[in-house]
Amino acid sequence: MPSIEYRGMNLVVPENDSEWNEHFKLARERRLMLRACGACHLMRYPPSHGCPFCGDLSWSWREVSGRGHIYSYEIVAHAIQPGFKDWTPYAVVLVELDEQRGQPTADQALRIIANLVTPDFRAEKEENVAIGKRVRVVFQDLSPDFALPQFTLTDEPPEGRVWRFPS
Amino acid sequence: MASLKDRYCIVGVGETEYSRRSGRSTRAMAVEAIKNAMADAGLGKDGVDGMMSYQGGDSTTSNWVSPDLGLRLNFYMDVFGGGSSTEALIGLAIGAIEAGMCNTMAIFRSMNGYSDVRIGGTGARAAAPVRGLDLAQVPFGMRSAGQSFAPTFMRHMYEYGTTSAQVAHVRQAHSKHASQNPKALLKERVTVNDVLASRWIVKPLHLLDCCVETDNATCVIVTSAERARDLRMRPVYIMGVAGRVNKPRLDFHWAHGPISRVAGYHARDIVFGQAGIKPDDVDITGSYDAFTFTTMLQLEEYGFCQKGEGGHYVSSGIIELGGRRPNNTSGSHLCEGYTHGMSMVIENVRQLRGTADDYCPGAADGQHSYDYSPGRCRQVKDAKITMNLGWAMPATGSALIMHN
Repeated sequence: MPSIEYRGMNLVVPENDSEWNEHFKLARERRLMLRACGACHLMRYPPSHGCPFCGDLSWSWREVSGRGHIYSYEIVAHAIQPGFKDWTPYAVVLVELDEQRGQPTADQALRIIANLVTPDFRAEKEENVAIGKRVRVVFQDLSPDFALPQFTLTDEPPEGRVWRFPS
Repeated sequence: MASLKDRYCIVGVGETEYSRRSGRSTRAMAVEAIKNAMADAGLGKDGVDGMMSYQGGDSTTSNWVSPDLGLRLNFYMDVFGGGSSTEALIGLAIGAIEAGMCNTMAIFRSMNGYSDVRIGGTGARAAAPVRGLDLAQVPFGMRSAGQSFAPTFMRHMYEYGTTSAQVAHVRQAHSKHASQNPKALLKERVTVNDVLASRWIVKPLHLLDCCVETDNATCVIVTSAERARDLRMRPVYIMGVAGRVNKPRLDFHWAHGPISRVAGYHARDIVFGQAGIKPDDVDITGSYDAFTFTTMLQLEEYGFCQKGEGGHYVSSGIIELGGRRPNNTSGSHLCEGYTHGMSMVIENVRQLRGTADDYCPGAADGQHSYDYSPGRCRQVKDAKITMNLGWAMPATGSALIMHN
């Protein structure tokens, strides 16, 4: 059973975890792969067996670009997990990927939770975090067969209005 | 959908003290809370034959509690759940009684929510292995309720211009209410500026935007309107109930926007439809205040104001005692103590009886001064209809409408 120690947490992906058991291994190969429905062909995240849009159970992995923008975020000032205390303040971002935006209905999209990090995996400075800023995926290696998909800022023009929490 | 409007009642309510060191088991606290609710209803050991509870692996169960009360049950069930479970279980109690499985149901929640398993996610909860769906957010330092909800709150600020000062009025109002509540853990009134000056927990939440973890047990007793007429207290009638209604994509609600929308969007037609009333008919709301923002989001989603105007609504004075439609008149989770929602139903039952347990000497007999200065009265004059808005998370909620 792969068990990864990271920031004091024990990340566990048993071999019978048929949702997650390939996801982080694919990330270690520098690929952000999502499951796509065999019937309606729409992708979803997190990995699941049935399609949330049509209910079909057939699926296959499909690679996405890992590019998108910050849809919402938070700044954790008071970490409750001991292993994150030396990282505060850190940003948790909700990233909206470029693929499949507004599908199958206007307010739906492929969105992923991650940290906003510098390319060398330090917490991005708070003043640089804002809704609308463009990001790309970076893979944080935690073991030879496990990486966490994280996101870092790019210098592309923002997506719509750029907004920072006023504080 | 079907409606059993006015055919079932809440006939008894009870709780333990709210503390940060109960020094006893969840079983002991549950027994006391149920005993108090039974005494409130005037029910003896032959008067309760059903029991339900909700918990998150942090509490006792009905089969340990019922023997301590001398009860033989015809039905019991203990479910997994936190906020929004109270209203849902009241609905299920109606269903169990309607099905003929039992006659009178005690519903309890008991937790050492500060001294043992903290609701905020620290301690034992933070040390648990991370697996399954938790892998989508916990490895990124997103574990507690506040951390899990904050991007919803942030997006609401982005979309609608909602400000920290507006939602801080929720804490200001609830602290005013708690100053009239002898049971409240935090009785001191605080201001909007106090909230804004308190330390950051997870932006946009300050410390005082967050509720107060406590040790407590709470209980409500449900039975049919026919049986209710023979009991000790004036019955409070259930007009409508919606339980654990959810948005699409319950596995990962971020995928299905607008993420500033909450489950009340889907629950409101169910519960208002059963009750046959409109938001304007409600005298008191009990909008779940795990955080200041949760109160605001639900009030707007259920139609007490337009979507997006929740910040204006909660800062207008409407939600304070003396205002048009006070919210959480006990001070509730932000000030009285965190109970996973049961206390907000208990408070509305007492309000509808006219016996809010404030500092008025004749409160138990319905004698109130309606003087809302500190340390005095919290009874709402002529309250006829209340509505509870239960919150589990942005994607799941419950609602309950009652009248006297």
